[in-house]
Amino acid sequence: MTQLVELQNSLPKFEQAGMKLYGISYDEPAALAEFSQHHGITWPLLSDMGSKVIRRFGILNHHVARDHVPYYGIPFPGTYIIDEDGIVIEKLFNRHYAGRSSPELMIDSALGEILLGEDEPSTKVGNDDVQVSATFHGGDGTIKNSVVRQLVVRFELAEGLHIYDEPVPDGMVSTRIEVTGPSGVRTGELFKPPTHPLSLSDLGIELNVWEGQVDFALPVWIDDRISGVTREHAMSDVPLTITIKYQACDDRVCRIPQQEN
Amino acid sequence: MSQANAFPEHKDEFGTVAPIPANMSPRSPPEEGFRFGPEIGELFPDISLLNSTGTRINLHEDWQNSKAAVVFFRSAVW
Repeated sequence: MTQLVELQNSLPKFEQAGMKLYGISYDEPAALAEFSQHHGITWPLLSDMGSKVIRRFGILNHHVARDHVPYYGIPFPGTYIIDEDGIVIEKLFNRHYAGRSSPELMIDSALGEILLGEDEPSTKVGNDDVQVSATFHGGDGTIKNSVVRQLVVRFELAEGLHIYDEPVPDGMVSTRIEVTGPSGVRTGELFKPPTHPLSLSDLGIELNVWEGQVDFALPVWIDDRISGVTREHAMSDVPLTITIKYQACDDRVCRIPQQEN
Repeated sequence: MSQANAFPEHKDEFGTVAPIPANMSPRSPPEEGFRFGPEIGELFPDISLLNSTGTRINLHEDWQNSKAAVVFFRSAVW
């Protein structure tokens, strides 16, 4: 429900992105109407009574026993992103945990780029040639039980410079991003954009590099150790430590590896 | 033992009760080869469902040429 209300609050962003929003659950229409009225939901919630569509999609939550009434029939929570032609272009199912996606992740997935908000919490380091920012993306800076945000690390590299993905030979540093926080802060698999191949033929080395603006996104969520029933549900004061290691090089010269905290 | 005692209750921020917290992990991937519905690159299936006022909505007809997000959620009741 947290997710549905948050989506309602983000409806203007969806409209701006030219996106429509639909929700599907196994509830009967009257229950959806009551919920919509109570929480001011104006986007369509659709009734899949008997979980027919949920079963057809193969997303029935089989961890709930058949005799576990009324909970049997729920889906694994997830979202399909559809393009203008009705084609599925992204599936936001969090396979190893039950987190729900932020509205911002849905919009980014539809548009194919990460749209950072000007008012999102952000920190920036670097110099004229290499700017590195870390932004807590989604939910207007709040972290909530069960909703997944993203920590977006954006490199802006001057022309001619690049940074490295793994693998790299000894003596060079690949780009690494780590986030730690209090017990209960969880992180998922780092999203890395596609690399370009770079061949150093003199040395017989093939490298994978990024150039220009490079966005890395790390899923971040919290579990009950931080946000339980007795605590605030929308928290904005969870300290995160972000460690970024990288080495920027051009065709001839490599700079000293950097570590930013 | 009553149903309520058999399944520990968890309240969300709106006070609704569920048998498991919303963010409880299933601890393992759902199934080997789990498909998660239509694949990326496939046409979204042709689906018609009732909305909260009882009107039948065909998704493809409704969104026409807009981008869309279709969110499968647990329940609006608990």
